[in-house]
Formats: sequence, structure tokens, C-alpha cells
Amino acid sequence: MAVDGDTDRTLSVDSRGRLWGLHATLFEAGLFGATLFGIVSLCILFGYIAFDAFQPLTASIRWYLLIAGTLILPTAAGTLYARRQPAVRAANAKAFGVVGGALVAALCTYIVVDALSPYDVALVLLFGGYLPAVFTLLVRRTNRTTQLGPTAILSVGGGLAIAHGGYDLLRPIVGTAAQWIAYFAIVTLPVAFGLWIVGRRRWTRQTARRAVLAVIVSVLLLVVLALGLGIDPSFWVVLLSVGAIPVAVVIGEIVVLDPAGRLGAAGPFVLIGCLSVFLAVERQLGLEGPDGYLTTTLLLESWHGLDASSAGVYPQIVGSIVIVGVMGVLAFPVGIGAALYLEEYAQRSGWRGRVATLLEVNISNLAGVPSVVYGLLGLALFRNALGFPTGIVLSAAGTLGLLILPIVVVSAQEALRSVPDSLREAAVGMGASRWQTLRTVVLPEALPGMLTGTILALARAIGETAPLVIIAVATTKYSPPDGILSSATVLPLQIFAARSNVDPAFRHGIVPAAAVVLLVLLLLMNTTAIVVRNRFDRRSQQ
Amino acid sequence: MSNQESTQTVHETAETSERPESIQTPRAPAIEAHDLSVTYGSETALESVDIQIPDRQITAIIGPSGCGKSTFLRCINRMNDRIDAAAVSGALSFKGRNIYDEHVDPVALRRRIGMVFQHPNPFPKSIYDNVAYGLRIQGITSEIDARVKLALERAALYEEVSDSLEKSALDLSGGQQQRLCIARAIAVDPDVLLMDEPASALDPIATAKIEDLIAELSEEYTVVIVTHNMQQAARISDRTAVFLTGGELVEYDDTETIFENPEHDRVEDYITGKFG
Amino acid sequence: MSSEPNADRESLQRNDTVVRTERLYGWAIAASALLTILVTVGIVLALLGEALTFWSAVSPLSFFTGTKWSPIIDGEYGLLPLVSGTLIVTVGSALIALPTGLAAALYLSEYASERTRSVLKPALEILAGVPTVIYGYMALVYITPLFQGILPVSIRLIPPGLEPLPAFTLVIPSLQTFNVLSASIVVGIMIIPMVSSISEDALRSVPDELRAAAYGLGSTKYDVSTKVVVPAATSGIVASFVLALSRAIGETMAVTMAMGMSPQLPYFPNVFRNLAESSQTMTGAMVQIASADSLGGVTYEAMFALGLTLFLITLSMNVAAELVRRRFREVYQ
Repeated sequence: MAVDGDTDRTLSVDSRGRLWGLHATLFEAGLFGATLFGIVSLCILFGYIAFDAFQPLTASIRWYLLIAGTLILPTAAGTLYARRQPAVRAANAKAFGVVGGALVAALCTYIVVDALSPYDVALVLLFGGYLPAVFTLLVRRTNRTTQLGPTAILSVGGGLAIAHGGYDLLRPIVGTAAQWIAYFAIVTLPVAFGLWIVGRRRWTRQTARRAVLAVIVSVLLLVVLALGLGIDPSFWVVLLSVGAIPVAVVIGEIVVLDPAGRLGAAGPFVLIGCLSVFLAVERQLGLEGPDGYLTTTLLLESWHGLDASSAGVYPQIVGSIVIVGVMGVLAFPVGIGAALYLEEYAQRSGWRGRVATLLEVNISNLAGVPSVVYGLLGLALFRNALGFPTGIVLSAAGTLGLLILPIVVVSAQEALRSVPDSLREAAVGMGASRWQTLRTVVLPEALPGMLTGTILALARAIGETAPLVIIAVATTKYSPPDGILSSATVLPLQIFAARSNVDPAFRHGIVPAAAVVLLVLLLLMNTTAIVVRNRFDRRSQQ
Repeated sequence: MSNQESTQTVHETAETSERPESIQTPRAPAIEAHDLSVTYGSETALESVDIQIPDRQITAIIGPSGCGKSTFLRCINRMNDRIDAAAVSGALSFKGRNIYDEHVDPVALRRRIGMVFQHPNPFPKSIYDNVAYGLRIQGITSEIDARVKLALERAALYEEVSDSLEKSALDLSGGQQQRLCIARAIAVDPDVLLMDEPASALDPIATAKIEDLIAELSEEYTVVIVTHNMQQAARISDRTAVFLTGGELVEYDDTETIFENPEHDRVEDYITGKFG
Repeated sequence: MSSEPNADRESLQRNDTVVRTERLYGWAIAASALLTILVTVGIVLALLGEALTFWSAVSPLSFFTGTKWSPIIDGEYGLLPLVSGTLIVTVGSALIALPTGLAAALYLSEYASERTRSVLKPALEILAGVPTVIYGYMALVYITPLFQGILPVSIRLIPPGLEPLPAFTLVIPSLQTFNVLSASIVVGIMIIPMVSSISEDALRSVPDELRAAAYGLGSTKYDVSTKVVVPAATSGIVASFVLALSRAIGETMAVTMAMGMSPQLPYFPNVFRNLAESSQTMTGAMVQIASADSLGGVTYEAMFALGLTLFLITLSMNVAAELVRRRFREVYQ
């Protein structure tokens, strides 16, 4: 307790207090430094990789000046301008999102379908999708009492069974059509259908009908043009359907409906324009860019163990995409189902409650099991028990699918929990059964969150290597997989296999470049997940 | 004969029988409870409730907070089924049928009894889709447009939203959302409309609109309304039930009698504000 | 949606087919949930099956206490070198990750503004998102050469001539191509987010009243953070440590690529030799056996025995961490 005379002394900041102040500042600085430590270290390591992959020192200064002038300055100017106008910024983000996403989607679709053979995909789609859909609709028209769900599922199953059983007969028939027709059936028809569904809700029925017609006509015109020029229309059909049409729809909507943000929609096209200017000037002045290893050869060719300049990772890229896709198809329904059970069906009291708790504890334990152990599970299940051949897409996708299952379940649970209970009460009060409540109210609300969680889980799986090594997936293959039962390899395995190659063109060239490709794939998936989540946040605020 | 036509015929009949009071025939009660008790584990929420709720009148349920008003309301459409720990004993019948009978499907029951909640809870869909929801889940596909319009008119909301039915229901104000929830509930032509403090989350102007609306609704539907606002109960209801702490139904009579000349001292204390 | 003409409004029942179909959906959903239990059952069966066969050929005692691991060449199945390798990597990565992660968590929870936090927190999560092969590659190709340039280093701690103290020079040997240090560093970086994220949650859960009380008594921010908040969140922080260590023990690709495949027993007294030379972890040994790819035989079964050991170790650590965490959650709720 301070006496009056002491007050002056204890309240003022003396030298010891100042030292203490310094101590505190150092402490905070230390904490801040620790926070940055990992990030900075990773940046440095990434810097090494980028340096080796892109070889930036091999380009001249004039080349960099050209980049600064034609690409960086306009982008910076545009960003500064957009910062002041939120409508422009939003429209710009939307435009870039749709252009980037559509291009990536188009490329991935083409790559995967090309690897799996477009005729096979068309066959599966025809018998497993279109015919069952038509059948279900017909049944619904004639007999109003049938339940759509079981009818649809049974007809899909039946269709696929027919396709599988009659494959030898049906495949040659399908194969007589020109390849672009197969692509048309695979991409253009679903896109047109999707456009009709979306358009019916957002615009008038008439506009939607006209839009669908425009899609089909434009694609057919493109085919005619391509055939006239003597080039195979397949790739362009995909690019137009999956790439250009969504872009046209979204940009069109912005231009028509959002006068304030119109300028923002021009963003990606301005960028493309700048890029063209850059390339033209580059060629004109004869400037050469860096002699990096991230070339088209890397992206389109297959591996070469000795000659770095002809080594590529195309089969690995396709393999990664296909395995991740199959993994998603396997893990998503099971994960969602388990989450639905835990959140919506399971009781919390009594013995059933204990079972539910056991399930949840089990899932959280599974999430912490090392990935190698999942490899052993995959080995025992797919190679020993089921007798699948070594390293096929199905085994790899199944093993990794089991690995990500706990993550999918937990994130789906969180998405379901975020749906307010008041909505469920409203639906139940209206006389909706539990399944109806889920289907009409809960799942539509929770779906974006579930998708985000699944995509993030898939993004993690695309870099997983250990389980695949255990189930003996081949480290190098020279052709992409052509079916679920064909053997495949993935990008991280190739990096692992090439680690002991001491040729500098590989060690400080091709392999870092392959690592960059893997990181780019990862970045694309994470961006997709974030975009899905943000659109969900915006939608629920409307 | 479509649903709409048959409903109108029934209501015409009811109106002719309602007008001359002297030849008013006693109508069967819409809802009857006999020795109804609800416990949550060791807690008693409702204690041996006996009540007969008349058809096509407004019955108000009042009482201090925690006295089981909402619990009783939720027994009527078996919403308490959703709570694992709730144990219901006694009998509760709707239109003469015991709703806790094992052959009764609570989902089917709730399609005949509508509920409006304290906080407006429209679905994150369009206004039209909200009102049409109940019709669609019952598999009704014809004349949805007409029924949606009728429900919105009856809920005194149609004029305000008629040109923006496709807009999201979440864009409406609180009062409008609650009227939308009422429209949603009545679109399926329920026999009974349960309302759990429907205006307590709204501002006074919106509350007044809702109260007017409820008075009109009682011409077509049996309304049971839980409210903590005694003046509201006195204004709009025909009959009033007073629950007091412990889930006990202490007194149930015509509204005038309850508010001017209650039988029990405890009820009088509650109404004059000595507690609660 | 199908209509239900058989639904009778008076009967308070629904169309039988509808009810039955919906019950079917319920069963399908329950089956999905059951599948998750089957995964665990599958893991246990898969591991036990082969591991037990292994332990009938190689005695568990010699497995758990043997000091030589050389399955392919010599048929020796002693676990201790692998345990040593795993332990050294884990301890090394813990030395990096635990203090750093806790410091980061403290900074983010107590010091950082919302804006800073919204940038740094996702940035830290990136550390956990990088594929482990890439970490392994970076360790092998960039970190090792970097350190090889600095080491060997000898520091004269106690110079001669100071009798009776013996002369003592600290010698950090040169780094081999495959070494434990680089592996420890990348695994440490990799698990920082686990420590920081869970610890931060624990720190944030400490009720503000505690902080207010401490400030009211005249404490500085440093006092509050280190003497009030951190101790209050101890169980959450400990849980994060245990989980991160469990993750480090289970790490495979980064350690295999950086450390190589030479299982060793720990060196004594020159402790630094353990970091400078190659070794092998349990996970690395499993990968090595799998790469040799012989379906069957004692070596193949050994892989499952290793897997079972690893599974049990990480499972018990995770369960312990969860119990600790649950205890801290109960305290505040």
C-alpha cells in the first residue's frame, strides 16, 4: 500500500519500467518472429524451387521490362482503380473466376475424356445417364404414384449393367460415329441441359429456351467450321461448351444486369489482350524468355529417365486427376451419408446414442491414423482380399478415398450443423418427413459447405504418396490411364522416384518443375474450394 | 372437386351455422386433452392437463415463462417427438382421434395442423416456393399458383409481394416474413393453426397487423395461440387457458371471464401483474 | 416429386410405399455410417493378420528388443534402430515446432489485430498443406547442401589452459547427404500449424474475465499472456503438442527422402552425429519393404508388424490428446 509520498514514484515510469517496456516489446517481436518463421522458411524453399524450375536468370533484362510494361503495369493500374469501386471489383472477381474456372474445367475434361477414350465415356453416359433419365421421366408421366428416387437409381444401375454386358456389341456401334459427336454428347448436351435448368430459374422460360438453342447451334457451327478447315473439332467442341459458354452466360449477365460493374467484366479480356500484345512484341523484338523447365514438353510428354529436355509428366498429371476424380466419387456419397446419419438420424440418448458416440470417436481416431497404415489397409483389401492387379486406378482411388473419408465426414457434419434448426422445425411443422426435410431444406443449405470440405480433402489427397508406395503403384508410366482398371501413376510418386537422379537438369530442373505443377494443381483445387465457400456465404445472405 | 372448392363449401356451411346465436349447435372440440403430462427426464413440463379446445375459435394460452405453454402447444402436433428425452403420457385427441395412437403418422398429422413459430423462419427460397412448400411435399401439383395467391391474400401479404414472388423470402422485413410463414402454414388448408408467440419478435406496428390477421383467420381455422402478452390475449382470443409454473392448467374459460372475474386467486395475481 | 393420391387426410397416415421408400433411404444412410466402423475393423484385421504371422516366425521379443534392422540382406528384424530413428526425428522436429507453434499461437491469440490474424492464420495453414514429397525433396536438394556449406563447425567452449577444467570443444560434424537434421527441419516446419492452430483455440477459449482480472491487478500484457492465459490453456496446449508429435511419428515421405535408409542405433556421447548421419524411421522401413515388392514372405509380413506398432503408438497418443482436450473443455463449460 503506497503512502502519499510514494505515489509519485510508483506511478511514473522509471528506468526499470522502461527496461520492462523494452522487455515486453522484445517479447512481442519474438512472438511475431516465431509466427513468421515457418512462413518465411517455406517461402525461401519455394523460392529455391521456383528458381530451379523457371531459371529466371537466363532471361534478359529487356524481357523483364517488357513483362513489366505490358502485363504488370496494366494489372496494377486496374487493381488500383477497382479498389475504389466495389461493384467493379466484384464483377471483376466474378469474371476472372468464371474465365479461369471454365478454362481449367475445359482442359481437365478434355484431358480425362481423351485418356479414357471418348467413346467409352459416351457409352457410359448414354446408358448410365441419358437413357435412364428419359426412362424415369416416361415412367413418371404415365404413372404418377411411383417414387422417383428408386426408379432413377434402378434404371441407372440397369443401364450400366446393359452397357457392361453388351460392351462388345455396343462399343463398335458407338465407335462408328465421328469423335466430335462423342464429345458433343459428353459435354455439349449436359452444358445445354444445365443452362436450361439455371436459365429457367434466373431468367424467363423463353430466354432459357433461346439460350439452349444458341448453345447447340453455335457448337454445330464450330464443328462445321473446323471440318471445313480440316482440323479435328473434338478439342474445340470441349473448349466451346465447357469453356466459352459459361463465360458467355456469366459475362452476359453482368453486362446486362449489372451496369455498375460492367467495366469489371472486361478484366480477364483485357488481360488476354495484354498477353497477346506481350507475345507479339516479344516475337517482334526477338526477346527470349527464361529457359525454364516448365515447358509444354513437361506438360504434354511422358517421362524420360536420361534426357531432361524430353521428359514430361503428362501421364502423371492425367493419373492424378483421374484418381482424384474417382476418389471423390467414392468418398463423397459415403461421407455425406455417414454425416447425415450422425447429424440427422442418430438419437442422442439410450443405446443408440452410445453407438452414435462410438461412431464419432471412431471417425476422429481414423483421422489421426498415419497415411502409411491406410496403405497397408489398401494392400490387404485391394491386392490380397479382392485380388486386383497392382497399382490400378481403382485401388489407388479406393485407398486414398478411405484416407480422406474421415475428413469428408467431419466437414459434412459441420456443414449440416451450420444449418439453423429453425429451418428444420419449419419444415417438420409443415408436415415434411425426415427425408423430405433433408432433401428440400437441409441438404440444399449444407451442400456448398460439404462440397468445400470434400474438395479440400481431395486437395490433400492429391499430394499423398505413402499409401500409394505401399500398394505398389508404379512410379513411372509412359501413358495415361485408360480406365478404372488400368494402372496409373501420380505426380508426387514421380517426384519421389526421381529424387536420386543427380543430373542437374533433373535435380535442379525437371523435378522442381514437376513440383511446381503439383503445387499449381493444389492451388487450383484450394481456390475452387474457397470460391465455392464464398458463393455459399453470399447466397445465404441474399 | 378440387381441394379448393371443397374447402369453400365447408366454410360456407360453417358460416351459415355461425350467424344466429340462438340456434348455435355445439360444435365438437377440435382438440381435446385428457390427463396429458409431459416430463423431460426428471423435470415435469406439463402436469395432468385437461382441456377442450373449441373448433374455429381463438384459444389463447397464457402464463409466466417456463410454465409449459409451448410444451403443450407442441404436443398438439407432436413436435415434442423431436426431443428424445420427452416422455408424454395421457391422451390428446384431434378431431376425435387419439394422436398418440401407434397408427397415427406424425408427419400426416402435421399436414393437417399448421404451426407458426416465435421467430419467423422462412426457407431460403423464393416467396412463391415458401408458400408452395407444403403443397409440394404433399405431392400436390395442380393449381399451385391459385392456392399460393389465396394463401398470401388471406395472410394480408399479397398486395405487398404480388410483383416479386420470385424474390428471396429473406429480403422481406420481419413482419412480412412472419406473415409469409402464416401464409405458408395456411396454404395447405390446415384444420388447426398453432401459433407460438408469433408477434413477440416483431415491432408494435407489425404486431398489430398480425393480431388483426389472426382475428380474421379464426373465421376459417381453429387457432391456438401461446402468448406472454396478456393484453394481446384479452384483445383477440375467445377462450383463454392460464398455465402456471409446473405445467399446471389452473383455469380455462371464456376470455372475458378470465380477465374480469377469474376464479382462482393465483390467476388473478398473475393477471394483475403480481408475478410473472 | 410424385403425388400421393392414396394419402387419406382423415386417416392420419401416409402412403405406404412412400413410408417404406423413405425407410429404405434411412437404412442406406445408416449403412454409410456403418462403413466408417468397417474401415477401422479393416485396418485392425489387416494389420493383425499379417503381423501375427510375422510374430510366429520372428519372436516378438527379438523384434522389440533387437538392435539390428536389416531385413532384406541379413534377415534381422530388430526394432530398436528404427525406434531410435523415429525418436530422433520426432524430438528434432519437436524442438522446432513446439516452441514456434506455441509462440505463434500466443501472438495470434493475444497480440495480433484481426487483420493481421486474418492474413497470418491462413498463411500458417499453408505449411500443413504442402505435399510431404515436396518437403522431402526440398530437404534433400536445398536444405542439406545449405547446411553442408556451413558445417563442420567446432566451437571452443572451454579453451585449454584453464586448469582444472578439461578442454572442451564442441564439434558439429559435417552433414552427410542423407541426414536426420534436414528431415527434422522440414517435419518441424510441417507440424507448426498443428501446434499453433489447436493451441490458439485453447488460448482463445480462456475466458476474458481472467484477463480482465489480471489487468485490473496491474499486470502487463506480457504478464497476462505468460502467467495467466498460457497456464489456463495448458491442457489444450499439451493436447496440441501430443497430436503434433503423433503426426511427426507417422510422417513418411519427407523423412524417407531426407534421411535415407540406414538404420542406426543412437550415437553416444557425440550427440550431434545422430543428426548429421543417415538413419531410418519405422515408416521409412515400411516404404523400403514395399518398394522391394515381394508379395509374401517374412519381410513382407514385417511391414505389417511395423504398421501395427505404429498404429498402436499413434492411436494411444491421439486418444491421450483427446482425453486431455476433453478435460480442458469441461473446465470452461
